[in-house]
Amino acid sequence: MNKFIIQVNGTVYGSTASFRALRFTESVLSLGHEVTRIFFYQDGVSNSSHLICPASDEHDLHQAWKNLASEFDIQLINCVSAALRRGVISEQEATENAKSQFNSSDPFEMGGLGELVTGIETSDRLVCF
Amino acid sequence: MKQICVIFRHSPIGNSASREGLDFALLSASFEQQVSVVFTDEAVLHLVKNQQPELVGSKDYLSTFKALNLYDIETVLVCQESAKQFGLKQDDFNFEAELASTTDIQQVLAQSDEVVVY
Repeated sequence: MNKFIIQVNGTVYGSTASFRALRFTESVLSLGHEVTRIFFYQDGVSNSSHLICPASDEHDLHQAWKNLASEFDIQLINCVSAALRRGVISEQEATENAKSQFNSSDPFEMGGLGELVTGIETSDRLVCF
Repeated sequence: MKQICVIFRHSPIGNSASREGLDFALLSASFEQQVSVVFTDEAVLHLVKNQQPELVGSKDYLSTFKALNLYDIETVLVCQESAKQFGLKQDDFNFEAELASTTDIQQVLAQSDEVVVY
């Protein structure tokens, strides 16, 4: 059994990177490996937006990540500075920055790049999408 | 401690990939990881002196590349094939980096635990 950390850099829609990341994660889990953490960086932070509303016959990646996280108890972490620059904020940042709305909600958490690096250090393999 | 190789392959102008890759490289080094850096393809343009990213709406993150050494990132390689394509010579470099052959780069990759491409 190996420990994986997954880094998602691709946007939630417009490239297939995030979808492939999800499928890869499901696949390693089904093979009995452990996925400790999904780290969303660059345009990947858009995956955490609660405001994603795909058509009813399309894939809802935001929801798929949430389902995966709760089923397998995996941390979903946004790089906070990448997220803030792209208009993805949590309730706490909305308060701190005097914004009337927020769009990132549980179980997505805001974190620092340090969580990516410590995740890499404690995992056997980092896989980026 | 892991050996992490960060590869830059995008131009400094036109997207934010390198800025975020640089943040990752510096942070990894400050978390005591052993970091090496490779510039290839259009990313060799990061080495060009006297650029003004502010003119295209970016923060001047290019000068931060000079900090790689301060963070104990000693292996900073520039793909010599890519440099040649863009007419860049070592004398033109804005910060300390060395021209490297494909074989040199392959060696660094082989020694790395993780390779991250920006």
